[in-house]
Amino acid sequence: MVILHDFAVWLAHSPLNHAVTARGWIVPELQIVHIVAISAVVIAAMLINLRALGLIETDRSLQIVMQAWYPVMVIAVMVLALTGALLIASEPGRALFRTVFWVKLGLIAVALVITAAHGRSHRAGVSRALALASLLTWIAVIWAGRWIAYAEGWPGAFS
Amino acid sequence: MMLTDLSLEDLANWLAATPLAIEMTDSTWLFGAVETVHVIALTLVFGSIALVDLHLLGLVDRGRDTHALIRRLLPLTWGGFALAALTGTTLVFANPQGYFANWFFRGKVIALALAGINVLVFHSFVQARGTGALPLRLSGGISLLLWLTIITCGRWIGFTI
Repeated sequence: MVILHDFAVWLAHSPLNHAVTARGWIVPELQIVHIVAISAVVIAAMLINLRALGLIETDRSLQIVMQAWYPVMVIAVMVLALTGALLIASEPGRALFRTVFWVKLGLIAVALVITAAHGRSHRAGVSRALALASLLTWIAVIWAGRWIAYAEGWPGAFS
Repeated sequence: MMLTDLSLEDLANWLAATPLAIEMTDSTWLFGAVETVHVIALTLVFGSIALVDLHLLGLVDRGRDTHALIRRLLPLTWGGFALAALTGTTLVFANPQGYFANWFFRGKVIALALAGINVLVFHSFVQARGTGALPLRLSGGISLLLWLTIITCGRWIGFTI
C-alpha cells in the first residue's frame, strides 16, 4: 500500500503524466484506441471459443482458428496494456486504488490462460467447458473495466 | 425557432418524464450496468464489422469467400447491434435533453444512418462483384471510417455532456 502510494505520487509528477494531460483530447483518444483493441479481443475470443463450441467456422479445425486468432488477441492485449498504462499515468489516483482494477488484471490473466489451454485438450467436454469459461471471463473483464469509473476508491488513498 | 427543433425538444421533455427516465436518474447502478452491456455489445458489432471491412479491403482472410465470411459473422453483428441499440436507447432516457443537444450524439446518429445506407448499397449493388474490386474496397473503407466515427463520437459524448 505504501509502495503503491509512492508509485502513484511519482507517476503523478512524471513526464509521462505531463505528456498525456498536456492536451484535453489525449485521454479520450487513448480510450478510443483502448475500446478498438477491446473489440479485437472480443472478436478473437468469439471466433476461438464459438469454434470450440462447434457454433462457427466449422469448416476449419479449432487449431487453425487458434493459430489465426490467438496472436491477434495477444497483440490486442499488449495494445490494451500500453493504452491502459498511459490512462493510469494520466490520473494515478484513480484505477490503482480501486479493488475492481486489480480484479480486472487477475481476470485478464485467467482469460488468456483459459483461451491458450484450448490447444492442449482433445476431449470435447473439456474444450466446451473451457470455451464457455473463457467467454464469461472476457465479459467479466469488460465489466470490471467499465466499473473502474463507478467503484469507490480505498479509504485514505492517494488522490 | 424551427418546428423540428420544437418537436425534438418536446420529445426530449416527454422522454425525461417517463418512469424509465426517472429510474435511470435515481438508481446508483442502473446507468453503469446498461452502459457496460452497451460496451460489450458495441465491441461485438465493431469487431465483426471491422473484420468484414478489412476482408473487403483485401487485408484479412484473402483467400476466403466474402459471402461465407459475412454469413458466418452476421449473427454476431446483428445480435450485438440489437443489444447496442436497446441499451443505447435506454441510456438516452437518463438525460434526453442533454443527448439531443450534444453535437457528438448528433454526429453519432448521422454516422449510424450513413453506415446503414452503406450496408443497403453494399447488399443491393456491390456484393455481386468479386473480392478486391474497387467498389468492394470502397464499401469496406467507408464502413470502417463510419464505424470509427461512431465509436469516437460515442466516447466523446461522455466527456462533453
